[in-house]
Amino acid sequence: MATKNGNATALTVLSPIKNAVMGETSCADITRERCLSLPIHEKSPLARVPNTYLARLFVLDDVYYESLPASDCVFNFSDITSFFSDSARKKALPRKDHLKSKYLVFSSNFYGDLDAYLAGLWKNWSYIDLSGNQRDVRHIWEYCVAFDRVTDISSFIDYIKRCQLDASLFFNGSTDDSLQEQLKSLYLKQEFTRFAIEHQGKNAAEIQQDFKTFIQRVQPENLSSPTWPPGKSAP
Amino acid sequence: MSNIAGKAYAMNVITPIRWYMTWINRLIFKIALKNPETLKGLITLSLIHYARWVIVPRSGFPRLDPSQPKEDLQYSYMLFFSNFNGSWDQYVDSFTFAIPAGLDLFWKWNIRYPKSVPLTPFHKYIRHNQIDTLHYYNAYPMASSNDIKSAQKIKKALIDFNTTSVNKTPDDFLKDYNKLLIDLQHHFGDMKPTPIVSLSADAVKKRYLQSHLNSN
Repeated sequence: MATKNGNATALTVLSPIKNAVMGETSCADITRERCLSLPIHEKSPLARVPNTYLARLFVLDDVYYESLPASDCVFNFSDITSFFSDSARKKALPRKDHLKSKYLVFSSNFYGDLDAYLAGLWKNWSYIDLSGNQRDVRHIWEYCVAFDRVTDISSFIDYIKRCQLDASLFFNGSTDDSLQEQLKSLYLKQEFTRFAIEHQGKNAAEIQQDFKTFIQRVQPENLSSPTWPPGKSAP
Repeated sequence: MSNIAGKAYAMNVITPIRWYMTWINRLIFKIALKNPETLKGLITLSLIHYARWVIVPRSGFPRLDPSQPKEDLQYSYMLFFSNFNGSWDQYVDSFTFAIPAGLDLFWKWNIRYPKSVPLTPFHKYIRHNQIDTLHYYNAYPMASSNDIKSAQKIKKALIDFNTTSVNKTPDDFLKDYNKLLIDLQHHFGDMKPTPIVSLSADAVKKRYLQSHLNSN
């Protein structure tokens, strides 16, 4: 299974949305609107979910019809047969597919194991919406099929696993350190870059003294503080 | 819609593939997994945080309740999700120019895949099959994937240097300090919010400022 790459995990979730209408709005559109109005960066509910590197939500309304011209690698007999037959020409068109449900897609790249991550998702997903209401993770999945049976951490984990799809290939172009480790490293990179610039041309004793003070301030081995908060979007 | 979160762009592409050809793709992915050097081109490009390919069999879309209509599809589907740095054009073009053969190998069996060269049909194919993201979260909007890899090296070097050199005489300390800076010179860099390079990035910034205004 390619869902893991070292300590990094790729979670792909397709949760079917009910084919129903609430008032005048479809459940899919309500879900879409809720995803769109989530606060972003530091205020995203995902910033509170431990070890989330990058994650996204979108609604899969349907699959696309491949109407663009292109050669089809091995099935080009129609190029010959269609000289002689209109029906052969038409049969060479791609088939038309349509989904019968719309799907809420949640894709996350995170550090660690799935069960611990999903427990963190259930416990920590929290934000205040534009109307001032406190919302938890149930608000996003509310109109998904069978989500009304989710009542606690364990039923949430079971539910997400039923909606999970395995990756065939998961490529990690970054690191698979814990998020705390990544954020601390970024904080140190930023601070040490500034230290190096500020101390250009200074004498040895002064740099040494200031370096000791710098190390006391930045505490390189203390992952929890000082560091960057998740989702930090401005210096 | 929010395909952008700081320096990262979220790409979602869904493409049909004949169900009886998916085994070839699975085999190619398996070979790529077992032989990481086959992904060397992607590593060299160095603009991806994380990317994945997921094959959904035509009967593999989750069905959670008998009340949910059963999908009746003629094709299986390949999902591609990527988190990369830079603009859409930079990303797609870099694939075409740097690793066209590898790209064609991954998509070759997909319906009406036009191949990655020439560029314009490939652009159209990706645009045609791309789905916009509604909410995109990035734990480090100011950092590229290269920043994260560099930061890992700086942290380790800083801790090692602090252990070995900090209590030396000032002159020896300076010698080690200068060596440290030379060793790390490719990894330094001040991280700031990404410049606004597109209307989409501008819209994300406005949404962010608006949400801050609302919450204050």
